[in-house]
Amino acid sequence: MSGLLAYVSRRLAVTFLILLAVSFAVYLIFAFLPFDPATLTCGKNCNDPGIIEANRIRLGYDKPFYEQYWVFIVGLFAGRNYGEGAAAIHCAAPSFGYSFQQHACVTDLIGEALPVTLALAIGALVLWLILGIGLGVLSARFRGRVLDTASTIFVLIGTSLPTFLTGLMLIIFVVIKWHLLPFPAGGYSSPFEDFPGWLNTMILPWITLAFAYAALYTRFVRSQVIETSTEDYIRTARAKGLSEGLILGKHTLRAALAPIATMAGLDFAGLMGGAILTEAVFNLPGLGRLSLGAVLDYDLPIIVATTLLAAAIVVIMNLVLDLVYAFIDPRVRV
Amino acid sequence: MSLLSVHDLRVEFATPDGIVKAVDGISFDVERGETLAIVGESGSGKSVSNLAYMGLLPKGKTKITGSVTLETDNGPVELIGMEPEDIRKIRGKDIAMIFQDPMSALHPFYSIGDQLVEAHQAHNKVEKSVSQERAIELLTLVGVADAKERLRAYPHQFSGGMRQRVMIAMALMNNPSVLIADEPTTALDVTVQAQILKLIADLQKKFKMAVILITHDLGVVAGAADRVNVMYAGKLVESASVDELYAKPKMPYTVGLLGSVPRMDRPHEDRLTAIPGQPPSLMKLSGGCAFAPRCTRKSEVPGNKCETTSPELIQISTGHYSRCHLYEGKTK
Amino acid sequence: MLKSTKTLKTTLATLAVAALATAGLTGCAAGANVGGTLTYVTFQDAWTHADPQRNYTGRDIAWFGSYMHRTLTAYDRAEGAAGSAVVPDLATDTGTASNDNKTWTFTLRDGVSFDDGTPITCEDIKYGVSRTFATDVITDGPSYAIGMLDIPSAADGSSAYKGPYATEGNDTASFDKAITCSEDNKTITFNLKRSVGDFNYTTTYLSFGPVPKAADDGDQYDLHPVSSGPYKIESYKAKDSMVLVRNENWNKDSDPLRATRANPDKIVVKFGVAEEVRDQLLLTDSDPNTMSLDALLPTNLPTVFDETGNVLPAFEGRALNVYDPYVRFAFVNVKKLNCLPIRQAIYYAKDFNGLITLAGGQAFNGDPADGAIKPLMGLDYKKVTGYEDWTTSPNIEKATALMAQAKTECPDLYARATDKNRGLVYDIADSETNKKSAAIWIDSLAKAGIVIKFNFIEAGSYYSVVMDPTKQSDLSAAGWAPDWANASTVIPELFTTAGGFNLTQNADDPAYAEFEKLSNAALVESDRKKQGEQWAALNQYVMDQMWIIPGTFSKTQEIWGSGLGGVFFWEPQGAPSFGDIYIK
Repeated sequence: MSGLLAYVSRRLAVTFLILLAVSFAVYLIFAFLPFDPATLTCGKNCNDPGIIEANRIRLGYDKPFYEQYWVFIVGLFAGRNYGEGAAAIHCAAPSFGYSFQQHACVTDLIGEALPVTLALAIGALVLWLILGIGLGVLSARFRGRVLDTASTIFVLIGTSLPTFLTGLMLIIFVVIKWHLLPFPAGGYSSPFEDFPGWLNTMILPWITLAFAYAALYTRFVRSQVIETSTEDYIRTARAKGLSEGLILGKHTLRAALAPIATMAGLDFAGLMGGAILTEAVFNLPGLGRLSLGAVLDYDLPIIVATTLLAAAIVVIMNLVLDLVYAFIDPRVRV
Repeated sequence: MSLLSVHDLRVEFATPDGIVKAVDGISFDVERGETLAIVGESGSGKSVSNLAYMGLLPKGKTKITGSVTLETDNGPVELIGMEPEDIRKIRGKDIAMIFQDPMSALHPFYSIGDQLVEAHQAHNKVEKSVSQERAIELLTLVGVADAKERLRAYPHQFSGGMRQRVMIAMALMNNPSVLIADEPTTALDVTVQAQILKLIADLQKKFKMAVILITHDLGVVAGAADRVNVMYAGKLVESASVDELYAKPKMPYTVGLLGSVPRMDRPHEDRLTAIPGQPPSLMKLSGGCAFAPRCTRKSEVPGNKCETTSPELIQISTGHYSRCHLYEGKTK
Repeated sequence: MLKSTKTLKTTLATLAVAALATAGLTGCAAGANVGGTLTYVTFQDAWTHADPQRNYTGRDIAWFGSYMHRTLTAYDRAEGAAGSAVVPDLATDTGTASNDNKTWTFTLRDGVSFDDGTPITCEDIKYGVSRTFATDVITDGPSYAIGMLDIPSAADGSSAYKGPYATEGNDTASFDKAITCSEDNKTITFNLKRSVGDFNYTTTYLSFGPVPKAADDGDQYDLHPVSSGPYKIESYKAKDSMVLVRNENWNKDSDPLRATRANPDKIVVKFGVAEEVRDQLLLTDSDPNTMSLDALLPTNLPTVFDETGNVLPAFEGRALNVYDPYVRFAFVNVKKLNCLPIRQAIYYAKDFNGLITLAGGQAFNGDPADGAIKPLMGLDYKKVTGYEDWTTSPNIEKATALMAQAKTECPDLYARATDKNRGLVYDIADSETNKKSAAIWIDSLAKAGIVIKFNFIEAGSYYSVVMDPTKQSDLSAAGWAPDWANASTVIPELFTTAGGFNLTQNADDPAYAEFEKLSNAALVESDRKKQGEQWAALNQYVMDQMWIIPGTFSKTQEIWGSGLGGVFFWEPQGAPSFGDIYIK
């Protein structure tokens, strides 16, 4: 176990270095893009040199690149002040910058958006894994029978319906036409403050996302299970006289799990970047909408921060996947 | 009554190109304590015939007919047409199997202890610790040192030979009356092969099992089997005691096979006298002898009979059967 | 400015507003129910601004002005032309002008207060106005205070006063002279650098409203502005919602404009509602107490309106299709397109039908414009003459004749306009619809032998590019709404060198000198009726010179739930009468 601990801490140290390198690269890219970051702070259609110059100094864009980066890194650990006097703005550590277009510290914006996306992604993941693995295994087990055909139809619908359409249909029918659920109060509320309200807000987005992914996973799990069931060790298990349930639930599934875990991990990491369409349809103030809005508004500090966050999530997810792998497959244990 | 009695077993696969008669009416008996070797090239039906009555062939497009009776504690049982749940209770208990590649035949993600215990638990309603004791006992028996410690090890932590020992231990967990060993030594080093074969032979004596040894290698058969069944294109083409077969092979195919046995006493380059040609496609069998296209002696049979008429299995001497036109009318 | 409010006065000439008649109770909430929750839904993630000094669109001004931000004067809350009358709000009257309209004085009512109960004083209004000068923090708001108050300019042309946040080299003394407060802090005096006869229209802008200095935190004030009206903010979160509740410290007696109107107990705005969801909510009347802050999606218009734009029976009384204050057109860069027949040929060859069909049809998108002034402007509008043979489908015959005329009159430009490799260039924002419209332009102009090419400019930087004379092409697409109901916010702004948005580059045009003279005369004309005739004549002048290629007098659509009453189109703000809406 101490070996594992050492392994994880070594990996975490490497992760930290990677993120530092990524942050530098992101900073470098944005520093050499043909945009003037100070001009961007004053929004579209704005070309008032007074505002631009004031913001340039306030945000430190007047300083050389390496100094800006250093100030950025220091801000991450010590917080940062923007401007002076009555209109000065303080962003506490870890400070990722200040968005003039949203009037808020980027860290606060991400702090608000991250739990939303996390709740959305985890809920959907759980739902689609249950649905996808369940249906996938069943249709592999009853290959060619009615259940398999039904799930094939489900897969076709799920993979061909765009999520925003699924989401819209759900809202329009479940909420607006049938009044089965109340119209969400708007935005997102924490499950710790208002659990039923949170469920009411999240249930349809979960179903929407899970629907599309569950279809993909059903197909994938089905083929994985069918492929695994031709393995020699499955024949051995059968020759031992194990029941079909045990063979499927223990031997086949465990072996099919590794690629499914990889896929789930990567999909989850992708979703943590934000499920833009689902967030837009359901008005969830998650990372997807934060990033999209930032890109449309050229809101540079947010773009830098969300890019870094996305990189961090992918790197950390890889670490998690490696650990999960070690758990599933004894051959890769250190 | 024999321990295992196979009568007119036929296995047909439906494929998009037509029906394949993988096993075309074979019959044989196996007695308690006897070792029967089934020899043939790949595709001859030697494995399929055994998988068939074990219920291990994919369902749906397979048609199995004939009769296979097994003597059990509860009297004789007909295996063909048995309910899946009933045949499951036979598998691993009355008839156990070991396979060619012990690496792929063991589940890579579970410890060997887990896999051994599971085999016992499938047929015995006992505490896990009891199954564990049994596993240690058998592992020790097959020659795994430190059995108790090794229970926690995973297949990849064993050598090939040791893995096959684990497989054997697993097969013997429930004291089977029949052990089907399907190419048990093919994937192993030559030196290890002999050890494994000796182990099987020793255990057979100890447990009083019948062993069905499926192999393409007559060299393996020589020291291990009592009787030999030679299969070609889904049919039994020669059956005799091992001494009889080696001394007086009749069917030209058997003769060819014996010619291709690697022998330590021959110069290296002469070891493999392969039979010219390829085994026939089971889809395109003509009315004649399936071996005729490769047979060097078909001209000895008058009237082109080898090409037109399929020979019957005939008794040449006591306990020696052969399917060849050359010996028609020469029976005792 | 382009972002200007939508202000219109006097009579409505051609309003096709069938639904208006059913709105009932116009401008007067007598009989309206008190209580309930009024819900607004919008596709937007948040208000553009909630800070009074940063509000600049008519809809936002109408909304915040109705519920939260009081000003010295305001537009009357009435349907039709009556709505454009200026009435007192925080002030006791609509102001007193003296010194040739260069000094304006307003006296505050008794009992006016902020939502914490603190009385509103002259100093609070003065502080509010001062924020406009902090252009680096208080962005996007109107700059009338900077343009009108008597404060000297710095060397770079900007104001010497830089607002309340600046510390060094700030000419605070000049600002203190430009706005003075009486001893009792109840009378405010504005000293202007030029005569402004309708300064009390300017003071309807929320940017002339009060802000308590203690609560001001610059940029962040946008998130929690203090209320002086009947409601105050209970919560406001972008991408989520804004909730307004009653302001217990609002003194009804001090606010005759809103006293009988603030009916709902609670007002909720739901942000970020997907457009299709928003429309379905309204179309199915799922929550009858809901109103949309946005226009309907074009695909949903036929559900509510017939093809001529009239409200269908099922939506009678809960939808509107009205003219908004905008005129859409293309500026002609006269310096480059210095040939009148070619400019006119473009106008005749243009395929209005094709363009309007692409944009959603005439019933919803608007009628062909005949100049820069909209008929809604009443006094200032007169039908332009001389183009009676212009038709909504291209008049190629006429255009070809004009081009033949151009061939002899201005051979150089003619050569360029008909040269496949050169041609004329049209600036337009880069969007899918605009790309399709470009194809229509190219096709129809080609029939008259004119080669037109398109310069697609990224939408976010469109105006900053075309407003740079070195980058502007021959033609530039634009839209304009008057800041209030006087073409003084149209003609001089768009067509004189003193204007803030003159993209015609017409200063060197031989016709310019005369035009400027007439325009300046109209600006100082004190007889409003006579002034209206002068603006109409100047509009005709612009069209005679073809300094713009007219586009559309555009329209907008509104929809709300069946449970709401008191909705009408509040013309001066070009928005629904938010403050009059009640729950039935």
